[in-house]
Amino acid sequence: MRGSVNWVAGMAIFFALWWLGGYFIAANAKTASFSGFGLLPTLAAFPELWQAGKLQSAILASGERLGSGLGIAIVIGLPVGILVGRSKLFRDLSNSGFQFIRMISPLSWMPIAVLVFSSWDGSIVFLVAIAAVWPVIFATAAGLAKVDPAWFKVARNLGANPVQMLTQIIMPAIAFDIFTGIRLALGVAWVVLVPAELLGVTSGLGYSIKDARETLSYDHLTAMVLTIGIIGYFLDTVCVMLIRRYSWHWSGA
Amino acid sequence: MRKTRNGNKRSQTPLVHVYGCQCSLCVPMPGRDDPIVRLMPEDPEMLEGKPDPRLALNYDDRFSSILGTGVSRRDLLRVGSLAALGSLLPTAATFAQEKKFDPVVKIGYIPITDAAALLVAHEMGMFKKHGIESAPPTLIRGWSPLVEAFASHRFNLAHMLIPIPIWMRYNNKFPIKVTAWNHTNGSGIVVHRDAGINTPKDLGGKQFAVPFWYSIHNIISQKIMRDAGITPVIRPQDAKLAPNECNLIVLQPPDMPPALAAKSIHGYCVAEPFNALGEMRANGKMLRMTGDVWKGHPCCVVVMHEADTMDPARAQWAQSVHNAIVEAQIHLFENREAMADMLSKDGKNYLPFPKEVVRRAMMLYQIPYPGNPDAIKNKDWGADRINFQGWPYRSATELVVSDLKSTVITGDAAFLDKLEPKFVADDLVNYAFIRNALERNPKWKNDRSVPATGDPFTRKEVISL
Amino acid sequence: MSNNAAVAAAAPAASRFAGFSYNASTFVAGLAILFGLWWLSTWALSLNPATSRFASFGPGPAFEATWAMIEKGQVQKAIWASSYRLGAGLLIAIAAGVPIGILIGRSRWFRELSNSPFQLMRMISPLSWEPIAVIVFAGWNSAIIFLVAIAAVWPIMFATAAGLAKVDPAWFKVARNLGASSRQIVTEIIIPAIAFDVLTGVRLALGVAWMVLVPAEFLGVRSGLGYSIEDARESLEYDHLMAMLLVIGTMGYALDSACLALIRRYSWHKQ
Repeated sequence: MRGSVNWVAGMAIFFALWWLGGYFIAANAKTASFSGFGLLPTLAAFPELWQAGKLQSAILASGERLGSGLGIAIVIGLPVGILVGRSKLFRDLSNSGFQFIRMISPLSWMPIAVLVFSSWDGSIVFLVAIAAVWPVIFATAAGLAKVDPAWFKVARNLGANPVQMLTQIIMPAIAFDIFTGIRLALGVAWVVLVPAELLGVTSGLGYSIKDARETLSYDHLTAMVLTIGIIGYFLDTVCVMLIRRYSWHWSGA
Repeated sequence: MRKTRNGNKRSQTPLVHVYGCQCSLCVPMPGRDDPIVRLMPEDPEMLEGKPDPRLALNYDDRFSSILGTGVSRRDLLRVGSLAALGSLLPTAATFAQEKKFDPVVKIGYIPITDAAALLVAHEMGMFKKHGIESAPPTLIRGWSPLVEAFASHRFNLAHMLIPIPIWMRYNNKFPIKVTAWNHTNGSGIVVHRDAGINTPKDLGGKQFAVPFWYSIHNIISQKIMRDAGITPVIRPQDAKLAPNECNLIVLQPPDMPPALAAKSIHGYCVAEPFNALGEMRANGKMLRMTGDVWKGHPCCVVVMHEADTMDPARAQWAQSVHNAIVEAQIHLFENREAMADMLSKDGKNYLPFPKEVVRRAMMLYQIPYPGNPDAIKNKDWGADRINFQGWPYRSATELVVSDLKSTVITGDAAFLDKLEPKFVADDLVNYAFIRNALERNPKWKNDRSVPATGDPFTRKEVISL
Repeated sequence: MSNNAAVAAAAPAASRFAGFSYNASTFVAGLAILFGLWWLSTWALSLNPATSRFASFGPGPAFEATWAMIEKGQVQKAIWASSYRLGAGLLIAIAAGVPIGILIGRSRWFRELSNSPFQLMRMISPLSWEPIAVIVFAGWNSAIIFLVAIAAVWPIMFATAAGLAKVDPAWFKVARNLGASSRQIVTEIIIPAIAFDVLTGVRLALGVAWMVLVPAEFLGVRSGLGYSIEDARESLEYDHLMAMLLVIGTMGYALDSACLALIRRYSWHKQ
C-alpha cells in the first residue's frame, strides 16, 4: 500500500515538474514555438495519435524489429555464452576479438548494414542484434561460471548425456543470469532502435519521432518518446519478474 | 585460507560458487579472475549460508540493476535539487536569445552544393565588403538540427528546402521569412544502371528514395511519376505493389548511393553532390535532371527571422546581407570551377567531398548527357546542373504550395488544405531586400530562367515532363 | 650456489612470464582470427560485381587508410576531441549520479518516490533528447556532452545505490557510536565500500556513452570520431570508414580495460 502510494506520488512530482517546465517555455515569447514539449500538449497528443492509429502501428513495427533483434541476440548469444563459459580455450581465444567488436558503437555499422542487407528491416534488426548480443553472451558465461563443477561430475557419474546435462543442469542453473543478461540487452536495444530506424523505413517509433521532429510537432515527438519510456519500463519490469521467479531463492531450500 | 571481512573462515562447500568463494573446489580454479566473469560482479560478502542479497525475494527489486538491490534506511536526507534544476533549465536561457540585435551573420548550412551561395559570400569576403561581419558557417548534418538551431536563434541566416519554411510558418506559427532563393535546379533523379529503368514509366513496382518529405525533390519526383501514370505510395518495403505504383521512402543522402548499389532502392532524387556520387561510385545513371523538368525551379531558399526583416533599425543590415548574397551568386555563375575547387575538401573543406565530385556536381551538364541522352530533353532552356538565381518568383511559390497539397507524405498536413497559394506568396516571402540587391546587380539577368523580355521579376512557370 | 639461487629466483618470474606470454599470445591470436574473418567477408563481397566497388571495406585498405590518417594527424585530433566530450559527459554523470545513488541507497522515502520517474527516463533512448539538447544548449559541444551525460548517468546512479545496499548496516551504527560525523561516514565508510560498484557502474556507463557518442557527434561539430565516420560515409570513402571503426574499437577496448584494471584494484579480493 505504502509502496503504491509512493509510486503515485513519485510520478505526480515528475509530472508536476514537467508541467512547470512546459509552462515556462510557453510563457516566454521567444520559446513559445517549442511549447509542444510541455506536459499538457504531450498528453493531448496521445488521443490524436491513437485515433489516427499512428501509435499502434508504430509500436507494432518497432516491437517486431526489437523482438527479432533480441531473438537473434539470444539465439546466438546463449550458445556462444555457454561455449565461453565451458571452454577455457574458446574463451581465451575469443576474448580479445569479442571485446574489440563490442566496443565499436553499433551505429557505426550502419553503412555496412545498408550495403549488406537489401531489406531495411533486416538492417535494423542487424543493428539491434549486434548491440544486444554482448550482454547475453557475457551474462550467460558468468552464470555458467557460478555452477558448481561438482554437479557435472555427479551427473556424468549418473550417466547423463550432454543433452541432459544441458537441459537439466546448465539451463536451470543459469536461468537467473540469462534473464539478467536479457534485461541488459533490452536496455541496449532500446537505445539503438531509435537512431537505427533512420534507415529507410516509414514506420516505427523511431521513424515517428523523426517525422514529428521534421514537422516541428514537438507534442507528437514527446508523446512518442514517452511511449518508448513506458514500453521500456513495462518490459523491464517483466524482466525483473522473470529474474525474481528464477532466483535460487525460489528453487532453493 | 583468506579471511572474509568479518574474519570468519569458510569451511563448507556451498552450492553456488560466487566470486570470492573459498571452498576447496574454487581455490585451485584460476578462472575466477576472467574479465568476462568480472563483467557481472558478485557480492563479495557471501558468507556461508547467507543468501546473496540480490537473490532474496524480500529485497526491493523494482529498481535494481544487475548489481544489487536496495536496503531500506530510515534516514531522511535532503532531496537532491536535480529534479528542481531540470524544471528550471528552459528558463535558464542557455540558448541564444535575442536580447540585443547581434549584427554578426551566423550561418548554418548542410554540406550540399545548395549552400554554395552563402558559403561563397562568407569566404570571398562579400559580407565584409558591405560592412557586415560574418562568423564562419556552421556545418549541420540534417535538416532537423538546422531547423531547431535556427528556431532557437543560434543562426540568423540559413538555407532551407522551400517547403520547410512553409511548414514552420503556417503549421507551427514560427515567425520565419523567406527572403531570397539560394539556388535553382541542382537536383536529379538517379537510377540503377541495371534496373531496366529508362523512362519514368519504368518506376512502377520499384522502391524510390527522397531525402525529406518536405522537399522539392519529393514534389518534383511525384509530379514526374504522376505524369507517367505512376501512383506514388508509402508502404513497407515488402508490401505488394501494383505495376503502376512506386514506393517512396526517406533516406539520408549519404545512404542513398550504397542503398542503390545494394539494390535496396532502385532510384532516388536528391540534391547534388549525391547524384554525382551515385553516378561515379554506385553504378547509377541519371534519369532526369529536375532543372530539365521545371525550368529554374527553386530548391533551397534563404531564410531569416521575421524580426530581422521587419525592424527598421535592421533594414540596412538586411539589405547589405542580400547585396552580398547576390554578388556571391553572380560570382558563382561566372567562376564555377574555381568555386567548386574552393568549396571541396581539397580547398577550404566546406563540403567534405573531393574536388572531382564537387566539380561534376556543379558543372557537368553536357548535352547529350553522357550515359543517358534523355536526361536532358530541353536543350534550349540553357539551364545548368545548378543555377544561382536569387529572385523568388511568386508563380513558383504558388505552384509549390498547390503541389504540396497533392504530394504524398506521412506527416500531418491538414493545415495545407486551408492554405491559399496567393496568400503564401504574399505573406511568406519578403521581396524588398532581394529586389534592391538585384537591381544593383543587373548581371543576375544572365541566368536563362529569368525572362529575357518584359518584366524580369514575373514569369510563367514552365514544366516539361 | 648462485646458480641455484638464480634459478630459484627465476622460477616465480618464469611462471609469471609464462602466464603473461600465454595471455599475450591468446590476445594476438584472437585478434588475428577476427581480422581473418573480416578479410574473408570482404573478399566474398568483392566477388559480387554489383557490390565489388565496396570492397574497400577490407582490412588491407583500412590499415592503409589508418596509417595515412595518423600521418596527417586526423586520428589524433579526432581522438582528442571525442575524449574531451566523453570525459566531460562521464564526469558530469558521475558528479550527478553518485550523490543521487547514495541518496537512493540511504533513503527509502526518496527511493520509492523517485523510482518510477527514473525508470521511465532511463528507458528513453538518449538520442531522443537531441532536439532538447539543440534547443537548450548554446554550444554544440555542450549539447553533445549533455547527451553523453544523460545516457551515462543511469548505470552509475543505480550501481552506486546497489553498492550502498551491500554495505553492512552495522557499520553505520558502529561508526555513529564511535562519534563519526556525517561527513566522515561518507568519506570513510560509504565511498570505500561502494568504490567497486561505482567503478562497475562507470564501466557500464562507458559502454553506453561510447555508443551514444558517435551519433551525437553529428550535431554541428567538425571534429571527433563520430564526425569523421560521418564524413567518410558521406563521401563513400569506406576505407576511411573502416579505419575509423578500427580506431573506435581500439580506443573503446583500451578504455574498457582501464576500467577493468581499476575495478580489479578496488575489489574486495585485495583484502
